[in-house]
Amino acid sequence: MKRIAGRTLYTLIVLLLSSIAVFYAIRLSGGDAVSARLPASASYEEREEFRELLGLNDPVHEQYFRYMGRLLTFDLGKSLTNNADIFDMLTEHGKNSLILGAAAFALVFVIGVPLGILAAVKRNSWADGSVMTFSVAGMAVPNFWLALLSVWLFASTLGWLPSAGCCSTKQLILPAVVLAMEGIALTVRMTRSAMLENLGQDFVRTLRAGGLSEASIVGKHVLRNAMVPIISLAGLRIGQIVGYALVVETIFGWPGLGQVLVNAVLRRDYPVAQFFSLVLIAIVVLSNWLADVGYTVANPRLRKT
Amino acid sequence: MRSEHTEAATNGAGGAPVLSVRNLHTAVATPDGSFDVVRDVSFDINPNEVLCLVGESGCGKTITALSIMRLLPTPPVRITSGEIVFDGTDLTRLAERQVRDVRAERISMIFQDPLTSLDPVFTVGQVMTEVIRTHRDATKAEARDMSVDILRAVGLPAPEERFDSYPHELSGGMRQRVMIATALVLDPEILIADEPTTALDVTVQAQILERLRSEQQDRHMSMLLITHDLAVVASIADRVAVMYAGEIVEEASVDELFSNPRHPSTQGLLRALPHVSRKRRELVPIAGLVPPARMMPPGCRFAPRCPHALEQCWDEHPSYDVHGEVGLRCFNPQPF
Repeated sequence: MKRIAGRTLYTLIVLLLSSIAVFYAIRLSGGDAVSARLPASASYEEREEFRELLGLNDPVHEQYFRYMGRLLTFDLGKSLTNNADIFDMLTEHGKNSLILGAAAFALVFVIGVPLGILAAVKRNSWADGSVMTFSVAGMAVPNFWLALLSVWLFASTLGWLPSAGCCSTKQLILPAVVLAMEGIALTVRMTRSAMLENLGQDFVRTLRAGGLSEASIVGKHVLRNAMVPIISLAGLRIGQIVGYALVVETIFGWPGLGQVLVNAVLRRDYPVAQFFSLVLIAIVVLSNWLADVGYTVANPRLRKT
Repeated sequence: MRSEHTEAATNGAGGAPVLSVRNLHTAVATPDGSFDVVRDVSFDINPNEVLCLVGESGCGKTITALSIMRLLPTPPVRITSGEIVFDGTDLTRLAERQVRDVRAERISMIFQDPLTSLDPVFTVGQVMTEVIRTHRDATKAEARDMSVDILRAVGLPAPEERFDSYPHELSGGMRQRVMIATALVLDPEILIADEPTTALDVTVQAQILERLRSEQQDRHMSMLLITHDLAVVASIADRVAVMYAGEIVEEASVDELFSNPRHPSTQGLLRALPHVSRKRRELVPIAGLVPPARMMPPGCRFAPRCPHALEQCWDEHPSYDVHGEVGLRCFNPQPF
C-alpha cells in the first residue's frame, strides 16, 4: 500500500510539471493564435484587441494560473477556430480514440502473449523462427509506412477493407492493427524471454517432481510468473499507443483525440491544443501509475510491504 | 516384471528392494561429443531404509537422483543405458505421462535450495492442492485438510495460516518444511532428498534431518538422501554409497563404512572430516580435483589423486565387485 501511495504522489507531481511544460511550449513554439480566428485582412488594432481579450499579452505564468483555475472548475473554454465547446470535442473524439486505442491495446496482448508462449515452448523450431522474424519486422517498420503499405494492400489492391473513415468495425481493423503492431512485436519478445527464463527456474523442477502436467506447469505456473514483467509494462504500451495514435488517426482519417490535437497545433488553437495535450499526457502518466499498481497486484512479493 | 530377477547383490535381510538401479549411464551431449556424467551406477533401495549417496560436488549424485525421477534436463542430459526398476517397471522406459503418475504419488523428491524451489506467485496451499488433485479425486476442502495435516506433521507452526502464505513470507527452514510436506502428502514409497539441508543454517538443519528421519520411520518409507556432509550421513543413514567422478566406488552399511572404509576416496572423505574426539588433529583434504567428464583417465578415475595408485590403476578400469554387504571399485584397497 505504501508503494502504491508513493507512486500516486509521484504521478500527481509529474502531471503538474507537464502541465506547466505544455503551457509554455505551446506559447514558445511561434505562430499566432490570433490568425486562427481573425481573417488575414484584420487590422493591427483588431488583432491587439482580440489578444487582450484572450489575455495573451499577460505574462505566461499569469495565463497559466488563470487557465489552471478555470480547468479546476471544469471550464474548458471554446475552440478559437470554430468556437466549438471543448468538452463536447472531448466526449465526441475521445469516444472514437477510446475505441481505437482499446482495440489496439487488446490486440497487443491477445496476439502478442500467445505468440510469445508459442515461440518459447517451441524454442529454436521454425515456428519460433517465424514468430521472432515477425517480431523484428514489427519493431523495425515505422507505423506510418506500415499504414500506407496496409492501405495499398488491403484497401487499394485487394479491396478487402476500407482505406479510411470511422467508425464501423471494418474501418477499425486497419488502424487498430497498425497501431498495435509495435506493441505486439515487443510483447512477443518479452513473453518469450520471460517464459524461457522462468522455465529454467528451480521451482519448475519442483512442480514436475509433483507430477503436474506440462500443460499446467507451462500454461499456469510459468505463464503466471512470466506475466509479472509483461503486466508491469502494459502501462507503457498504453503510452506508446497514445503517442502513435496521432500519426495513425491522421493517416486513416479516424476522428479521434490525436487528429484533433494535430489540427489544433497546426492552427495554433491554444485552448484546444493545450487541453488535449494535457489529456494525452494524463493518459500516459496514469497508465504508468496503473502499471505500477498492476505490478504490485501481479507480484505477490510486493503486496505486503 | 523384472524386479523378481534382479536379486540385489547388496540386498540385506529386508526383502526385495523397493527400487533397483542397474548399470545406469547418464550422458551429457556437448558440442565436443557425449560424455557420461553417471557411469555404470547400480544400487538398491530396500524397504524402510535410508540410503545415503555421498561424494564431492559434481560427482553425479544429483544426476543419478534426477535420472530416477526422470527430471533430467533433456536435452542435453539423458539416460543412455541401464535400468531403474521400481515395482516391476523399468522407469527409464516409461512414457512421460506414466512417469507423472509415479512422481509425488509413489516417488517424491525434495531439492537443495528451498528459496528458489517453490513457485513464487502461488500460495503454498494452491500448489499442494494442485499436486493432490492431479493424482487423486479429492475436493478442494479435502485437499486442504490433507495439506494442513501434513504441514502440521512436518512441524510447520500455524499450518492453517501458512496454507495461504506465499513462499516469500516464509523462512528458509519453513520453506523446506513446505517442500517436504508437499513431497509427503501423497504418502510415497520413496523420498529422494537432494542435499535438503545444505542451504539452511545449522540448527534448522538438525531439525529438518530429524523430521525426515521420523517421517521415514513412521511411514515405513524408503529414502535416498544425497549429501556431501558425512556428519549428516552418520546421523541418518542405514547404508551408504560413495560416488566419485560419476561412479559408485564403495557401498556398505553406515557402521561398516565409518569403521572400515576401503576405497581411498572414501578414506579421503573421512580424513577431511573434523572429529570432536580427536582434537587438534589436522584435517586432510583430498589433493586435486575431480577430473572433468571429457578428460577422464582411462584407468581408475581416482588414480591421479590416489596415494596408493599402482601401475594397474592407471591402465585398467577397476570393475565394481560385491562381497557380501560391501561393494568396492578398487584394485588396491588399504586398511584405514
